[in-house]
Amino acid sequence: MRRALGAALLAAAALAQVTWAPRFEVGGAFPNLVLLAVVAVTWTLGARSALVWACVGGLLLDLTASGPIGPHALALLPGVYVIGFWIRNLERPHALHVALSAAVTTVFYSTVIVLTDNFLGLPVAPLGVAAQLTLAAAVYNALLMPVAIELVRRMQLMVRTGPQPG
Amino acid sequence: MLLLAMLSQQSWAAGARGAAKSALAPAEGAMTSLAAQVDRVTSAFGDVASLRAENQQLRAADEQLRRQIVELNAAARENASLRQALDLEKASGHRMVAAQVIGRGPDSFSRTMQIDRGTADGVQPGMVVATGAGLLGRVREAGPHAAIVQTLGDPQSRVNVYLSKSNLQGTVSGGPSSLRLDIQHTLGVTASPGEWALTSGVGGGYPRGLVVGELANVTHRDSSTTDEAQIAWVNDPASTSFVLVITDFLPS
Repeated sequence: MRRALGAALLAAAALAQVTWAPRFEVGGAFPNLVLLAVVAVTWTLGARSALVWACVGGLLLDLTASGPIGPHALALLPGVYVIGFWIRNLERPHALHVALSAAVTTVFYSTVIVLTDNFLGLPVAPLGVAAQLTLAAAVYNALLMPVAIELVRRMQLMVRTGPQPG
Repeated sequence: MLLLAMLSQQSWAAGARGAAKSALAPAEGAMTSLAAQVDRVTSAFGDVASLRAENQQLRAADEQLRRQIVELNAAARENASLRQALDLEKASGHRMVAAQVIGRGPDSFSRTMQIDRGTADGVQPGMVVATGAGLLGRVREAGPHAAIVQTLGDPQSRVNVYLSKSNLQGTVSGGPSSLRLDIQHTLGVTASPGEWALTSGVGGGYPRGLVVGELANVTHRDSSTTDEAQIAWVNDPASTSFVLVITDFLPS
């Protein structure tokens, strides 16, 4: 049940990412719904589960993006790993930590995307433009993160209190 | 993942990669049309709210009729855009394939859009994509039933243009918020706002004469060999729903 719900959540996030999210562009950036979902999973289920879902969500994004398959999945992993480690060692997490985790993951994600494109010999955005877009996306994702985590928590609660098989 | 990226980048994997990407196209198409429906409904609600404030009598107006008007307006806009596209096809003399936009790129670094036509419809990577208003971009990848278009807004996009009045040459590059034009200096000639930038055909990347946009402002730089200008692009990728792929022109 949990896996099916997770897969459905990520598929919906990936589809919404390429159809709805660009409508909410501000300062050249728009929210990354898959990244938000994966960071929310890190907070609720831990880094191990989140790393698996980061691969799945990243591959879904790769299927909708131009270029080779893999960079988005790869880009989500380092951020999730780092914030997973950080969250585990937090004593009293609060909303600012939640927002900061999304911003940090966005910075890792954007950096890895640019580095991977460069490594694969694909055209890369100029450094200044890339930095500007990363900063805008980090702020955007940080602002939306508390909402995303609340949604994932509610879904988690729904799965726990739902009918049990057998 | 890096290994997968390296393998899927190879030319022999292009078919499988295109097929995998095409698999998501129907879901993207359905989601995009759902988004359009929601837009229509919310726009109907917006109309109701403003009318209520202006005139109490209009409260009693039939909701269904109003929704129909909104839908008819949307259909009229769509028809106008298709008619404009048809005019372009006739005027340019190029063979074209009409396609619907079903999705956009997942990140801000690559300004791309996905269309519902692919190799099965004669669409090939490198082909030029336009709308009735002017140049939109170029096909970057093509699967059997879907293709990914790199728009002019993509930071990696470059187009050689000339200006309609001064005849100056330059290169348009993409950016997060607007198109930038670097104009080559020519003694005694200066570019001025209001001029149109059209593809020059230099380099063989695009056919000559496609409209890119209007010069919004020009910054003269005495210390450089080029002037910098901002272009008001004739296309807004965020609201573009139909495009035309020019199928009889491939970059040289």
